[in-house]
Amino acid sequence: MILDQLILPWLLAWLMVGLGAYLVAVLDRLLATGSARDGSVWLAPLASAAWLMTQQATTTEAPDAPAWRLAPALYLALAATGLALVPWSPTLVGVDLATSLVLWGSLEALATVVIFLHGWSANAHLALIGAYRYVALGLSYLLISMFVLIGVALPAESLRLTEVVAAQTSLWHVVSQPLGLPLFLMVGLGLTFWGPLDLADSTDLSGGTAVERSGPPRLVWALARAAMLVAFSAIAATAFLGGWLGPWLPGPAWLLIKSLAVLVALLWLGRRLPRFAPERCVTLMWVVLLPLSFIDLIWAGAVALWMA
Amino acid sequence: MAVSWQRRLAAHAPAAVFLAEGARIGPLRETLALSPGIRLVDTPRHASVLLVAGDIPTGWRDDLRRVHDQLPAPFASVWCCCEPFEALHDPIRIDTLEALPQGVAETHRELMLGKRDSAPRLQPDEPPNPWEGLGDDGHGGEGMMGGTPYGRPMAMNMQDDLRDGLTLDTLTFRLGPFHSGLPPGLQAEISLQGDLVQAWTVTRKPFASVVEPIFHAARQAPVPIAELELSRARHHLRRLYRGLLVAGWPRLAERTLSLTGQLSPNSDITALRRSLERGGLWRLALPEPGRGVLDEAQVRELGGPAVRAAGIDEDLRSHDAHYRRLGFAPTCRDAGDTAARWRQWLDEIEQSLWLAGQAARHDLKTAETDAVETPRGPWTDAFPHDMSDLLGQVLPGLEWGEAMLTLASLDVSALDLHPLEEPWQRSTGDREGRA
Repeated sequence: MILDQLILPWLLAWLMVGLGAYLVAVLDRLLATGSARDGSVWLAPLASAAWLMTQQATTTEAPDAPAWRLAPALYLALAATGLALVPWSPTLVGVDLATSLVLWGSLEALATVVIFLHGWSANAHLALIGAYRYVALGLSYLLISMFVLIGVALPAESLRLTEVVAAQTSLWHVVSQPLGLPLFLMVGLGLTFWGPLDLADSTDLSGGTAVERSGPPRLVWALARAAMLVAFSAIAATAFLGGWLGPWLPGPAWLLIKSLAVLVALLWLGRRLPRFAPERCVTLMWVVLLPLSFIDLIWAGAVALWMA
Repeated sequence: MAVSWQRRLAAHAPAAVFLAEGARIGPLRETLALSPGIRLVDTPRHASVLLVAGDIPTGWRDDLRRVHDQLPAPFASVWCCCEPFEALHDPIRIDTLEALPQGVAETHRELMLGKRDSAPRLQPDEPPNPWEGLGDDGHGGEGMMGGTPYGRPMAMNMQDDLRDGLTLDTLTFRLGPFHSGLPPGLQAEISLQGDLVQAWTVTRKPFASVVEPIFHAARQAPVPIAELELSRARHHLRRLYRGLLVAGWPRLAERTLSLTGQLSPNSDITALRRSLERGGLWRLALPEPGRGVLDEAQVRELGGPAVRAAGIDEDLRSHDAHYRRLGFAPTCRDAGDTAARWRQWLDEIEQSLWLAGQAARHDLKTAETDAVETPRGPWTDAFPHDMSDLLGQVLPGLEWGEAMLTLASLDVSALDLHPLEEPWQRSTGDREGRA
């Protein structure tokens, strides 16, 4: 029991953090150019990580020291907590809370705080602008996420992720709630400030909240961002793609395949789309995506009633 | 000295290079961007090699010292066609462009493998101004108003908000002169409210910009129109590359840059335009219509693509009989805003390639030598001069990202009237192509 319900899920979560972050780096390099300009795509992420480990961790003139030190680790902790919520099978779950969907929602909200802290604590102007921008973005996507996640909880009549998967036995939510996954993918790009929604660590801010970072803390920050992408992909696969459900293969294998598909979609979008201007981004969220999330919720409720 | 497995592995990482661009250099940034084993970074904090290239005037060297000391150890500086700081023992000088990418990558490897010591710090590790603040939390003064800790005022509300009336504390800071998002040499004092530019004052003017040698040759004698137009297309492609990087579109930026090495009179950029405009993506990345707009007097003074993006068909090529024989007419847009100037580049690249194709078929040379339309603007008896003060009129009121995209759309440096010397003269399209 201890092995199944404590040690194994805990190991799985941290394994996913490490391996998942490595996979993100490899896939992103493959999608970036398709060329091997920086050497082997398999070796390059490890070499870059080793380089950052050898580098000095610089500091700014007068940072908010505790927040400056803790922010990367806190973001990584949020990603690991998210991965711990993912059910790999009906019994293999790190933390099988009756309110796991609520906990995931709170992780999204806490991410806003942590990313703001990362930019604010540096006491540097470009990092601070990145922090401001993220707060504007975070407030915009959190409501969308909430409505979409309530939509997947309705058919299950539960906020437990294992119940959400069980409710998809006859039909996955990606089919029964067609607006849900596309909307949730936008939330994912916002949560991880990736590609078109990378307003916090963007090139026009020379790296934004991470502009003053170097050495191991920069590595932890990069690792945390990649791990959060993996955690989000696994939650999206659980909420919309039937989680562990599938024929022939064991449940965890199905979850891995589905999570990988979501991850590739996010990375592909990140490489193919330009960064949206902040004002357009906020307008898109409030004027287009938020009303669509209302429709998704009403649709999900109607379908749940009809199927009941 | 034994080298750990970690350092041996780190030696395989691409060299992270922060480029401090001096005056009178060719398109070095673009050449390095396509070089294997090198990754250009936007902040010295992310670099292991500081590459200083071109003339660094005396007044800019203190700023360079500060940039130098921001690199995390272990780091090294490489000096190309400029004098290293005397305080550096064993500085690395590479004055041939062919050897530069390899030399920079090798420097990174030597640092990681312990064959080279990290460069020494040039400045004392202390705040640039003495502590003048009061209070337990370093707010710098008595009560809530604070004082001037470290010689700088606290962020506080000094101006009304320009956007929506939501007044925030004003934050004032200096950016440049080696910031990668600004023209080389430009330093500005910027006041922000949130992410909105309240004021932009140029404190150092940018270094004069150089154009390819063929534009200088065209002032001396007729030159093949095909070559001239290919040079113009390359220039605009490089501008577009830098703009796309700022816009957060690195994959397309790299694709745009790779075109510079492949240009021929038969080239066309239809696929690039399609990628940019697919699904209205370009529109989503660019500032909204009306942002960064210049009035008629401003664009006339600026000249070049900026004037044509405002609907004014001023182009010295119209006065050249051989251009007229090719059916040349200036291509124009109407809006005169940031988005229009970006699109104008694309239009002019297409037009230049079309002209190059036509001129190559008829083997035509330019007919005029007194008046040459350079990519920067018209060059007659007068020539494009520094217009960086214009930024103080255009950028206030724009959100930071819009301001950076607007800045990328404007060529405000003066035109350098002297052709590049060796080795920069050879640093044009063929090098980028080979890279």
